[in-house]
Amino acid sequence: MSKLNEVKEMVQKGRTKKIAGVVQEALDAGADAQEILDAMVDTMGDVGDAFSRDEIFVPEMLIAAKAMKLGLEVIEPQLASGAGEKLGKCIIGTVEGDLHDIGKNLVAMMIKSSGFDVIDMGVDVPVDTFIEKIKENPDVKVVAFSGLLTTTMPALKASVEAAKNCDVGNFKVLVGGAPVTEEYADEIGADGYAQDAGSAVTVAKELIASL
Amino acid sequence: MLSIKENFLETIKGGHPDRFVKQYEFMDIILEAPMGKNIMPGETIVDDWGVTRSWPEGQIGGFPVHSKDKIVVKDITKWEEYLKVPSAIYPEEDWAAAIARADAVREKGEKYVTAFVAPGIFEHTHHLMSMDEALVAYYEEPECMKAMIDVIVQRELDYAAELIKYIQPEVIFHHDDWGTQRSTFLSPAMFDEFIAPGYQKVYQYYKDNGVKFIVHHCDSFAATLVPAMIEMGIDVWQGAMTTNNLPELIEKYGKDITFMGGIDSGVVDFPDWTRENIYNYTKKICEECGKLYFIPCLSQGLNFSSFEGVYEATDEVIDEVSKELF
Repeated sequence: MSKLNEVKEMVQKGRTKKIAGVVQEALDAGADAQEILDAMVDTMGDVGDAFSRDEIFVPEMLIAAKAMKLGLEVIEPQLASGAGEKLGKCIIGTVEGDLHDIGKNLVAMMIKSSGFDVIDMGVDVPVDTFIEKIKENPDVKVVAFSGLLTTTMPALKASVEAAKNCDVGNFKVLVGGAPVTEEYADEIGADGYAQDAGSAVTVAKELIASL
Repeated sequence: MLSIKENFLETIKGGHPDRFVKQYEFMDIILEAPMGKNIMPGETIVDDWGVTRSWPEGQIGGFPVHSKDKIVVKDITKWEEYLKVPSAIYPEEDWAAAIARADAVREKGEKYVTAFVAPGIFEHTHHLMSMDEALVAYYEEPECMKAMIDVIVQRELDYAAELIKYIQPEVIFHHDDWGTQRSTFLSPAMFDEFIAPGYQKVYQYYKDNGVKFIVHHCDSFAATLVPAMIEMGIDVWQGAMTTNNLPELIEKYGKDITFMGGIDSGVVDFPDWTRENIYNYTKKICEECGKLYFIPCLSQGLNFSSFEGVYEATDEVIDEVSKELF
């Protein structure tokens, strides 16, 4: 098996204790850091797809992402010196009144793994705090709001409205969460809706392509 | 007309109910039983397990806070250093209100004396560690997780002994959410390995000590866990959402477990709710699921709704649908 395929396998199987060594071996064998990054990003894409198809579960996705993070740490010095393609900034958070973080964390993790710079605002984020962060980052490409409770749907709507009306930069708004549907996303003016963490990456990429 | 209890029994035993069981009507939940520090709307507290909980004003409950400084078990390999299990023994006087209520319910005889237990075993693990860290730990440090779960299970058993001593519950209404709307958090194999054995012990203990029925709340997808639920001793799965394909589950497992839910709170319980919308969902699920092994109910894990009037309107709608279908 080539070293690059070994790296892919380490990510896919979430081998958090072994991946750093394998990535280093791949570098030593002459693999390019960008090539390794691409292999890991592709693998995380496959992991996300498998999750969307209900073939794997949240822990498998989490350990795959953790493995990728550890692999990334090994190649980061090379990437920082020039290589490393980025898709742009994504600001993400769970709306005010809602303390659920798992869905938001999974989406943040998958979006980050696909090449976005993720600014994770955490949970229970007031509308004004989102807007301040957007103003601080006028080059943001995607703003993603999560809401897990029917009682926070009004906060989701308010966050989307404020983001769409804040007159900063050029970005798209993505929403998701248990009570959210495609129809509701349309109704409140979001540009995109993601059913799960795997599809969030696809939708985010489609959204930035339309910018 | 059958009594509430008779109608419930006919429904879950595949007999001849004369109407749909109306949501939680067969349970009188004794919420006066001491359960540790209680959170109120608008508050942030540290509970008896050391978990910080916050209840944002206007929301439906308190949720654990998992900023880095607030996580209780910061390293699963050192869980024994971090975890201080609270005593399950509460002063006798703290039980007085619960005893009085349970006695009154028993004397009236209309409903089952029901004890409420939450959080569940799985929930405890992620409340103590954060969901991400807990789920990773199930994979990376399975032996440590099992050892910590054993301690959580023992605390459940200790509290169960107190409930039995003071209020002699006939039904246990136990919370533990095991998934999202579309999937379980753990694979069925991991669930069988980590979570099911503890519940088998706890639910068997209750049944050995006079409890007639175990009603377990899990408002998520959990269809793949139904065989484990039956093994664990669950009689009624409350919170069963439509994403589980309830008619198929009833057909396959109805003789062993009853499904209570089918009216997903998310699609009926929202600020601009309407009775017509509730009726449409309720009628549809009642027609699909039939009269046996099924209890129409909001998926929410207690007998109220997030928005005022929804729970009561759902009760009325179930009565209406009963008249149409029975």
